[in-house]
Amino acid sequence: MSAFDRSRPPSRGTFADFDFPTIERRRLSTGLDLRVAQLTRLPVVSVNLFMRAAESALTDGNAGLAVVTANAVEGGTKKRSGSELAEALESIGARMSASAGWEGTSLSLSCLADRLPEALGILAEAVLAPGFPRAEVERAREQQLAALRQRDMDPAALASDTANEQYFAPGVPYARRVDGTEEAVSRLEPGDLRGFADANYRPGRGGLVVAGDVDPGEVEAMVMEHFGGWTGDPATLADFEVTPRTRERRIHIMHRPGSVQSEIRVGHVGAARTDPDYYALSIANMVLGGMFTSRLNLNLREKHGFTYGVRSRFTLRSSPGPYQVSTAVGNEVTAPAIREIMHELTRMSTEGPVSDEVVAARDYAAGIFGLQLETVGQIATRASQLVVYGLPDDHFDQYRGRVRAVTVDEAAEAAARHIRPHEAQIVLVGDADAVAAEVEALGLGSVEVVSPDA
Amino acid sequence: MSGLSISFERFRLDNGLKVVIAPDRTVPVVSTNLWYGVGSRNEPEGKTGFAHLFEHMMFQGSEHVPKNRHFEMIERVGGTLNATTWFDRTNYFETVPSVDLELTLWLESDRMGWMLPAMDQEKLDNQRDVVKNEKRQRYDNQPYGDWDERLQRLVYPADHPYHHTVIGSMEDIDAATLDDVKSFFETYYVPNNAVLTIAGDVEPGEAMALVERYFGDIERGAEIPRLPGNPDVAARIGETVRDHVVSDVPLPRVIMAFRVPPFSSDDFAVAKVTRGLLGMGRASRFYRHLVREQRIAKNVVTYVYPLLTGQSMMLVWGTGFPHTDPEALERAMSDELAGLMDASQAEVDRAIALTETDLVRTLERTAERADMLSMFDLYFDDPGRLNQELDRLRAVDPDDIRRFAEDRLGTDNRAVVVYVPESER
Repeated sequence: MSAFDRSRPPSRGTFADFDFPTIERRRLSTGLDLRVAQLTRLPVVSVNLFMRAAESALTDGNAGLAVVTANAVEGGTKKRSGSELAEALESIGARMSASAGWEGTSLSLSCLADRLPEALGILAEAVLAPGFPRAEVERAREQQLAALRQRDMDPAALASDTANEQYFAPGVPYARRVDGTEEAVSRLEPGDLRGFADANYRPGRGGLVVAGDVDPGEVEAMVMEHFGGWTGDPATLADFEVTPRTRERRIHIMHRPGSVQSEIRVGHVGAARTDPDYYALSIANMVLGGMFTSRLNLNLREKHGFTYGVRSRFTLRSSPGPYQVSTAVGNEVTAPAIREIMHELTRMSTEGPVSDEVVAARDYAAGIFGLQLETVGQIATRASQLVVYGLPDDHFDQYRGRVRAVTVDEAAEAAARHIRPHEAQIVLVGDADAVAAEVEALGLGSVEVVSPDA
Repeated sequence: MSGLSISFERFRLDNGLKVVIAPDRTVPVVSTNLWYGVGSRNEPEGKTGFAHLFEHMMFQGSEHVPKNRHFEMIERVGGTLNATTWFDRTNYFETVPSVDLELTLWLESDRMGWMLPAMDQEKLDNQRDVVKNEKRQRYDNQPYGDWDERLQRLVYPADHPYHHTVIGSMEDIDAATLDDVKSFFETYYVPNNAVLTIAGDVEPGEAMALVERYFGDIERGAEIPRLPGNPDVAARIGETVRDHVVSDVPLPRVIMAFRVPPFSSDDFAVAKVTRGLLGMGRASRFYRHLVREQRIAKNVVTYVYPLLTGQSMMLVWGTGFPHTDPEALERAMSDELAGLMDASQAEVDRAIALTETDLVRTLERTAERADMLSMFDLYFDDPGRLNQELDRLRAVDPDDIRRFAEDRLGTDNRAVVVYVPESER
């Protein structure tokens, strides 16, 4: 064994660069945007069908309809009951799931590659001929209402939901829960779901992604076989401007008697996925609260022991989503934790990051990107993002170069533009009797205490 | 697919450290994974939660690595890292670009060999606060957050190592001292109580030379002490034991647990398939009957813990709707368990097919490969057991399910925790 100096970290080898997998794009005559990534490492495949059947296109009056509709898709087709559909998929080891969110509705399929022809046929049947039988619609509706009730009583979910309500002006979809409201969901009938799916489960403005051990030509043939007659654009499209509820900093405390912690959210309206500052603000945010060794985590966790963890995040959507700091802290340190969060937000927005921090964040972003390309599911997710946000085909080929090129000044400018502590809404879910007075004494803004049942 | 074939090479250093190297040059990534044979089961009375607190201390630096530097250096190369503590073991892992393998070995070896010089009271107090906040966030401030504590108390007797939870009690966490850190380190964090797996883009010979270089001069420790308490426990609880909890929860929930054969038993595969046929996928019995047809449950979950000590545990839980009568939900769950007497081959096949897809997808990640190889080497001295997993499941037939259900899932082997929302009292 050769002697070596343990006190110094080893030097790094030469970084073996690698390419983002090739995604073959084929626009089919029906209007379907098909993207195939051939990955032969293991005999598995991931499919993601994205349709622009979105919660953000709905109003407060029918909020939750896209989510309930997606959840009811597994309830059966015009040919098969829900249990028959599940048996057909699961007997070949395939898993299918449908979900809807702000951007649209996704049907995902995961199976061994040799089972794709069968599984894709079943997916097509579920999308093209959903049954929405009454019992299954009622089940999906009841599950959704129960899920809303669970969010009401889960302190972390309640804090995030309350925060969104405070960040966004009334009427902006993002102000409400993506799962909809109790009033709207409880009124949903099978006809509503059928109408929504018929109008919006369409190939236009969406895309079908297939990643795995498959041949693109064979996939195209399979897709034409099952989706050949599927055409049209979704009828219900999002049409709204994002405006903040207020630009005045305020504190909102949701009183939860007996809480042993305060769930804290501090934030405001953030940026859209297509913002030109995307790379610079990603870097600024990593330094502030996007990594373990971020300023916020080193301060609140490793220095003060206030919390198990704290992070900050831009939730990037087609329109500007929230920017926020999230954490949970003990009652007795709630006010000091908020003080430190405001200190870090202010320091970042006024001074920006320093050079070392920017280099570290750039290296982290560029490095971890490559680590997240191991599985066909990860590749399918990336390819779907190109569809969802209308990003250029070479977006991921360019990613590492672009992120490595961010300068200290660019990151500082992006932080100054997008992080605005003086406009932040400070939301707490916790025991107001234990924390409100001290929080108010911070002098950060007016304090409103609300009981969840009020 | 006929079977799994994850190839690997195996070595052992003179100090007892077991090493598994599983090359896969198709991705430019490497995962380093260490399993130590210590977990909450090694904690004596008064020291609950210590194995997990100690895991946090492992990130507080070592002789040549200052506090926070471990995280900084791994994040700097775009890597990911973490650690987890469980009943029978504690694991530490990093995934990095393959050029940075040596960095992970430097960091892991420094804390295996030279952790104590970096420990001080301030770091312990800081991480004690972090862990107490973890407990508050994940357990105390959560609806149903105390379910595992309640369940473990019912399933295992007071002197069994699984009677207490991994997170432990606030009092015990408060009572932990620097001396505890020192003796725990010297007793359990020794090379002869660990497995190191490297999976991904490596050449085995080169990797092995690096392992020898970084870990070779760490001294072997003493034999690992016997477990505290009494690991022997009867195959069945002997009756139905229950805990009725009225608390601030949104929906009624019924959680049932059963003592089942330990992970090392041949019958463990039967428990896994039974769990699948009850609760994996939407064609499973619980989903089909309780969620879809009777609409008495909002969702159902089943799982089997892979535990080693005496008897393991299978869990089934159903969450009701606001109007669900918890007793009716429990009856419906019991009926499904009794119904296993007519388990069919088609159901068994389906559960195995889903498990197969899930396993292959799990193994797409080098981090998961490394983790499973470490586990099989630590627990069974046989990392190759991973490649027999599917065959073990395929050997299960409906008769096995019936025998297992009769033997283990009856009312004489049942712990039931029922949560009832406060407002529904």
